[in-house]
Amino acid sequence: MMRIEAIIQPSRFESVKEALHQIGVEGMTVSEVRGHGRQKGHTETYRGREYEVDLLPKIKIEMVLPFNLVDGAVQTILKTARTGKIGDGKIFLSKVDEAIRIRDEERGEGAL
Amino acid sequence: MGIPSTPLTVALRDLYGEEFARIEREFRATSNGRVATECRASLLDRIILDLSREFLEPQPDQLKKISLVALGGYGRKELFPHSDIDLMFLFEDSDAERRYREGTQAIGRALWDLRLRVSPTPRLLSECEKFQRDNPEFNIAALDSRYIGGDRELFERLRHKFLPRMIDAAGSDLLRDISELTEQRHRKEGDTIFHLEPNLKNSPGGLRDYHVAWWVGLISKMQKAGRWATQEDVWPANARKDMDSAFDFLAAARCFLHFRRGRDDNALSYELQAAAAARGIGVENRRALEPAEWMRIYFRHARAVYALCTQLLDEALPSSSKLRARLQGWKSRRAHPGFSLAGVRLSVLDPASLREPQRLMDVFRYVASQGVKLSREAEDQIRETLPGAFQSPWDPAALWSNLREILLAPYAAEALRAMHSSGLLVRLFPEFGAVDSLVMRDYYHHYTVDAHSFMAIENIHRLRSPERDWERPFANLFTELEEPELLFLSLLFHDVGKGMACEDHVAGSLQAIERVFTRLDLKPDQADTVRFLIRDHLAMSASLLRRDIFDPGTIRAFAEQVGTPERLKLLGLFTYADIRAVNPEALTSWKAESLWQLYVLTSNYLSRSLDEERFHANAEPADLQFVDRIFPLLAKGASREELASFLEGLPRRYLFAHSAEEIAAHFEMARRLKEKDVQLRLELRGPIYALTLLATDRPFLFAGVSGTLASWGMDIWKAEAFANAAGVVVDTFHFTDPHKTLELNPSELARLEKNIENVLSGAIPVETLMRGRDAAHSNSQPKVNVATQIRFDDGSSPHSTLMEIVTQDRPGLLFRLGSTLANFGCNIEVALIDTEGQRALDTFYLTFGGAKLTPDTQERLRIRLLTEG
Repeated sequence: MMRIEAIIQPSRFESVKEALHQIGVEGMTVSEVRGHGRQKGHTETYRGREYEVDLLPKIKIEMVLPFNLVDGAVQTILKTARTGKIGDGKIFLSKVDEAIRIRDEERGEGAL
Repeated sequence: MGIPSTPLTVALRDLYGEEFARIEREFRATSNGRVATECRASLLDRIILDLSREFLEPQPDQLKKISLVALGGYGRKELFPHSDIDLMFLFEDSDAERRYREGTQAIGRALWDLRLRVSPTPRLLSECEKFQRDNPEFNIAALDSRYIGGDRELFERLRHKFLPRMIDAAGSDLLRDISELTEQRHRKEGDTIFHLEPNLKNSPGGLRDYHVAWWVGLISKMQKAGRWATQEDVWPANARKDMDSAFDFLAAARCFLHFRRGRDDNALSYELQAAAAARGIGVENRRALEPAEWMRIYFRHARAVYALCTQLLDEALPSSSKLRARLQGWKSRRAHPGFSLAGVRLSVLDPASLREPQRLMDVFRYVASQGVKLSREAEDQIRETLPGAFQSPWDPAALWSNLREILLAPYAAEALRAMHSSGLLVRLFPEFGAVDSLVMRDYYHHYTVDAHSFMAIENIHRLRSPERDWERPFANLFTELEEPELLFLSLLFHDVGKGMACEDHVAGSLQAIERVFTRLDLKPDQADTVRFLIRDHLAMSASLLRRDIFDPGTIRAFAEQVGTPERLKLLGLFTYADIRAVNPEALTSWKAESLWQLYVLTSNYLSRSLDEERFHANAEPADLQFVDRIFPLLAKGASREELASFLEGLPRRYLFAHSAEEIAAHFEMARRLKEKDVQLRLELRGPIYALTLLATDRPFLFAGVSGTLASWGMDIWKAEAFANAAGVVVDTFHFTDPHKTLELNPSELARLEKNIENVLSGAIPVETLMRGRDAAHSNSQPKVNVATQIRFDDGSSPHSTLMEIVTQDRPGLLFRLGSTLANFGCNIEVALIDTEGQRALDTFYLTFGGAKLTPDTQERLRIRLLTEG
């Protein structure tokens, strides 16, 4: 099993979610986050007051998938979340040793 | 541990099983919850009497000094299929308790053996006289005590002597406990009846509230009349009908849940809503309904129950109301000669006067300004008077004036809820009836559409006291609005289309608002703003969620859709309030901050893009729409070409900021420039004067007008200066007259206009006029010190340098700025002047020798402004 963590532009979230559903990925955890990578922030002024826009809004999607779905999910995110501009986000992959469903304690891929 | 099965317990288990199945069958056939609960209570009576024959006395009516008493819901004969059973063994004295202890314990065990969840309570009669501070639930349950068997005389003493004594001594304590328990329960349930999946028993407006209203009625009647209330007189007659039908519905729904789930689970889940709706549970003729429609019926009943429950509690305990505690400055609350107050509940001294529309609206204006609630009588009186109050059509100007005052007052949402609850809102605006208790069946919306609309209005008023950091920018924005009433009016009606037979609810709401306009005396530009807010109320959240807000293309498209800074402010606040009223977690700090960033980026785009966004009839075919809109309003003899020529080169913001009627008037003024080279138009709009000036561009024009106004003591808080391609300047100055010079001396208007003309023609030097004014203000101290900031921007305009100044507002500031710029040799291409309290916020598009200012020129100008300002 692999854990996929994708940080994407908020404007791409609905499309990414829909595309993942279409390839059979249904469970995911979504968080509203802020941050920056190479896409640094900037300062905005409004009526004489300065606002630091250094941490930009992003959406974080997390999911744990069986190995056979991982490549498809990654390709789907890459294709759907890309706008070609700085700030499109990142995907992080990591191995997951075990998954346990709390309701019935089922373990392994069956618990996903 | 159960007792060994005896022939009796086996027989009773069979009896209970058979009878329970019969009750369920009958319920399935009739969906009559009232009958089902009565039947189960009767069944339990029969079983308990059989057990008392076995374990106490073969002839239960021969029993002495012990009485079998049903309490709580069992006592009321409202025993739901899986509810607990409260049974009291009432003893005359300790001897009787000892004598019957074994038998009563055997009855309790036998009932448990029948798998009935019984709470047997042994009590001495003398104990029932005392208020049990640590167990008020017992005293409350005893209010519903009912005789089952045993010593009847003993029970009668409990009912008619000991319990009345307890109420006499501690009725207020009991009411306070009921009130506190109710408040705790309501708080736990979010203080709203509008839950997506309500709990039929515990949610506000549910069965527990129904019973709270019943107990308060019982205690109050005992306190006032010295007797128990009956079903017929526990509540006022007009409330009883609503409460009866609410109980019938809630009881049917709760029985349905119990039978379906096989346990005492009262959560009305989505799935069970759909199942109940399909079977017409609690519905007349048991006709099948859509789940949303069925829930609409639920909410209507819940609203009636909640209203009576809270009203009776407020009336019974006026001093402990949480509303009263919430209100600050209670003692300083403004009294009204037409009303009296008991605690927080308002009564109308002369109910007959409510037939007059103005008196009726006085009630809600008072509620909106003071945050009080209507007493039950006042609400009934209003409901009864409504037909009389609508015999003649209401005057649109008076209605808008009253509604405007209500919308702007801090407790507007409470007043609107009261208007809706009493039926007035729908009488005034039948369109709103479409969303009465209308449920949006998705996991996102938590509230019915009407409640959502009121809550959105409340969200704006709560910005008066922001609690979180991310609320503060929106709170400031609220104070900047010119006509906040238009925001509130739009929020009230923005979703009424959801209750109409339209595919697109926005289209429905737009249809409805046109009918609303016929009953309100709004000006055309005000109606346009409301139309805009309703039509585009989803535009900002759509940009926020589906577009990259840091993409200049997104900002440009959104800015074009919005048009003016004022509309942007209105839409920003609308979006804030609308999202926040969807559910308690919908507006996260993340979303609020993103919304604010979108607002700031768009606002800056609007003020920094004026040079690029100009009217060009030949280059931009879309601009011809403006010509089409304005041309029909022109006087005879004017041609489309002439109009297009006047508009050529003016910033599009000018076209968005002014109504077609205003632009047509400006065009006529421009035509008259051939006869007189300065054209002025002065209008009073509420407390604000608007001066429009058209003239051919010339040095010191802006400084001359602002200096003349300042010399007259006028306070300029907003101004715009634009010029078309032919060099005709269109300037607008909005100012107040703090010394009431023009109001008290109307003839001075003509003299002010003459002064401006003379200054612009050079006949009077403006410095001469300003000299006296400067002397008058030389000693005045500002309340807040604002440090001057000057920022230049070369990137936003292809032709001009933008200069943004934030500085201390003071009399004559604009004159001094304008003079300094003119003396320096700068030409003001565009000026946007704004004020926020003591801060002046001015943006100038400047050229120097026909080009942008070089960095060196910018620095010299900065020094000159700081030195001379």
